[in-house]
Amino acid sequence: MVGTFVLDRDSILERLGGDAEIYEMMVAMFLDDVDNNCSALSAAFAAGDAKVVQREAHTIKGLLATFSDEDGANAAMMIESAAKSGQLANLAAAIGDLQSRLHEVAAALGG
Amino acid sequence: MHTVLIIDDSDINLTLIKALVLKLGECTPVLFDNPLAALEWCRTSEPDLVIVDYMMPEMDGLRFISAFRALHGRDEIPVLMITANDQKDVRYDALLGGANDFLTKPIDRIEFSARARNMLSLRTGQKFLADRAEHLAVLVNERTREIRDREKELIFRMSRAAEFRDPETGAHIQRMAHYSQIIARGLDLGPAMEQLVLEAAPMHDVGKIGIPDYILLKPGKLTPEEFEVMKGHARIGHELLKDSGSEILRAGAEVAISHHEKYDGSGYPFGLKGNQIPQLGRIVAVADVFDALTSERPYKRAWSLDDACRFLEEGRGKHFDPLCIEAFLAGWENILEIRQRFRDEDVPLI
Repeated sequence: MVGTFVLDRDSILERLGGDAEIYEMMVAMFLDDVDNNCSALSAAFAAGDAKVVQREAHTIKGLLATFSDEDGANAAMMIESAAKSGQLANLAAAIGDLQSRLHEVAAALGG
Repeated sequence: MHTVLIIDDSDINLTLIKALVLKLGECTPVLFDNPLAALEWCRTSEPDLVIVDYMMPEMDGLRFISAFRALHGRDEIPVLMITANDQKDVRYDALLGGANDFLTKPIDRIEFSARARNMLSLRTGQKFLADRAEHLAVLVNERTREIRDREKELIFRMSRAAEFRDPETGAHIQRMAHYSQIIARGLDLGPAMEQLVLEAAPMHDVGKIGIPDYILLKPGKLTPEEFEVMKGHARIGHELLKDSGSEILRAGAEVAISHHEKYDGSGYPFGLKGNQIPQLGRIVAVADVFDALTSERPYKRAWSLDDACRFLEEGRGKHFDPLCIEAFLAGWENILEIRQRFRDEDVPLI
């Protein structure tokens, strides 16, 4: 359901006002944080804490949107909404997919 | 330089927004990843713009905004809230809850710069108006004080004009005005009344300006007819000063008409008794007589302080209001100091 991530550097840069310096900084921070984002999401899911799952998914949604990954951001939003309504039961696969997506994006960004 | 407060629990967003704020120019970003710590900072510091994320663990953006707005003087500072573009309901709530505008994630630099600049120019306008209001208030106070000072100076010069035609001196005016103030203090009339007494007392004899020279400057004793004319200075002074828009001049009119009344009713021009005599007049009567007694004149030597005090004591309840005599004697140390400060030989004009 989620297509392969294609890095669209130009669209990201355009949003950052063509500022390569900010772009490089964002990429470096994303790469630094990606493992933490993945583990925070699984930990919250394992603990059955819907509120934290919602928040972590929200954060990931923002990160992926920053790198113009609409499909990834939509997948994160789906998890965020489900968690918001307290439905964690069927999220295991979606959470695994989202974590793979984060690593895919990280790889494309040069991690 | 604008102080821009940025609150977001995600480091990457903080970094991005900080970088964008720095690109605006003339801005100092202050970063917090915790809204409670940011609120604490806001208690003592005043940002020019607040950029706050909606979704944060300890306190969401809506609650932050209402807590921030509740702080004293923080109700006008512009607030931009960052929301995901799928959070339309949150945006409505935030608008009603005090956010001025929104930024949607992912943050777009052009949109960010435009909205942030709008908010900062709003802030600049607010500060300009506040500074202007403050500046005007200071200016009005300054001008009012200048006018009041000039009013006082004119009164003093006018009082001196009358005294110049008289053997009395400028120092007499200063002494009797300050003695009057000491009596007002002893009567516990309050600082505003003390000041009014000090400023109005110099005008007590301003009516002498209307007394012919052959009477005013006559070396010997006045005939009963001449004395009647001389008494007219009380009414003339009142006539000159009455119905003024100035509180000081109105008080001066009261002093002029009543400073020769005596407590037992034997004074002039009306022969008022006791508390029928305006309090200003009762106060000034003591101060004026004491200074006249203790000053040297071409036709008399100065009385000793003891003799002058005895005269006041003997006049208690007859010539003078007993309470005014008590207040005068209670301030004796000050009376002596004033005598030293204003000597006949060196007359300070103002």
